[in-house]
Amino acid sequence: MLDIKLLSFRYQYKTILSRLSFSAVPGEILHITGPNGSGKTTLMSILAGLRKEASGTIEYKLPNGKAASDRRDHVEYLPAEANALFGKMDAMSNLRFWRGLRALEQSDATLRAVLKRWDLDHPLIRENFPVESFSTGMKRRLALARLELSETPCWLLDEPLYGLDTKGIETFQTLLDNHLQGGGITVIVSHDIAPLEKFPVRRLDLLKEVKA
Amino acid sequence: MKKFLTQFRALLWQALQVEWSNSERWLSPLLFSATMIILFVFSFGKVEPKFLPQLYIAATFITAFLSLQIAFSRVLEPDMQDKVFDQLRTYPISPSAWFLSKYTIVILLGVLILLPTLFLSNLFLNEGPVSFLSGSILIIGLLALLSLGALGVLLSTMMLRSNAKQILYPLIYFPLTTPVLLSAVESSHAVLVDAKVLSDLMSSWLGLLVIFGIMYFTLCLLLFGELVKPE
Repeated sequence: MLDIKLLSFRYQYKTILSRLSFSAVPGEILHITGPNGSGKTTLMSILAGLRKEASGTIEYKLPNGKAASDRRDHVEYLPAEANALFGKMDAMSNLRFWRGLRALEQSDATLRAVLKRWDLDHPLIRENFPVESFSTGMKRRLALARLELSETPCWLLDEPLYGLDTKGIETFQTLLDNHLQGGGITVIVSHDIAPLEKFPVRRLDLLKEVKA
Repeated sequence: MKKFLTQFRALLWQALQVEWSNSERWLSPLLFSATMIILFVFSFGKVEPKFLPQLYIAATFITAFLSLQIAFSRVLEPDMQDKVFDQLRTYPISPSAWFLSKYTIVILLGVLILLPTLFLSNLFLNEGPVSFLSGSILIIGLLALLSLGALGVLLSTMMLRSNAKQILYPLIYFPLTTPVLLSAVESSHAVLVDAKVLSDLMSSWLGLLVIFGIMYFTLCLLLFGELVKPE
């Protein structure tokens, strides 16, 4: 469980988040909503560990109820405006690298099985073809393949559907379904809500929270 | 420890792949170095043999310093694209493994630039029968590189997090590197002009160079963790 208590964040003199408390629980999507500039991406970057909260606590609770010493061991973040891929490297090298950082095994069979799900397993695409030559949708699919390969129980997804075609959205729904069925936690920021309607979703409206 | 080594290996291998896939990154400083040496040769013209060692030291260290500065300032460029640097910060990476991988790649790049610079300087600037390029000069060059490399990684990372990178880099880098360069130049002068051996210099300039190397490496290793923490 991701447990947030009395979280506040200020950017220079402007209060972006004020005494925000909520929990993201296994098997459920927590959908962060709010108009542009309400602090959705800021909140996600704080949860991911990129920004430091002004006050409050963020804890990732392990199944035994204890707080994890470093929540980054359990959390994978997908940013909104980027895919965090090395443009000069190919798809397989990118995935091997990110898996290596989590000290996970990097067998080609594992990587290719996931790439296949995302329609990126063609020999002319997966190896010796720089990611910078991918289309927008292909880059997003590769970033989602990395998410799947992270084997983390908690996902922070900021506009995950950006650039995906219909088939890509269906693959994402299958991935999300498996993740939630397996007791995974998902926090999403997305303006495209239709693909999420089939899942158990709880909404957190940042505008209401800040006003409250 | 196993996780540390796995992360170090992953980060180093990725950095090597990026450098290999984009040869311009290490070729440009190398060509810059060769051009500088040739310019020095032409501008000096005919020089009295007794001044050649001094000219060799001056030309070599100025050239190597500027070429290394170009290479170091670009070492984190691949991490700046597509928010890779931010994504790395969201991963449970040991800051020491991260720093050491960048430091290793900087030293490898540095050696790739330093050795040809020393060789070309000797080839073009030395008209005498005895080579300026000796084991002692190589050791002095490598010791200077170890200090400069640590500073290069730290300051490049600092600049990634700063809005004033264009101004801050020269303002911080040049004053901090001055003692290292001074020690390296004075040690080389003692070896080439005064015919001293390295063991004689440990209590003077060479000792200072070693101390700065240890100090900068330790400081940079410790400070790097602070730079990659949440803002």
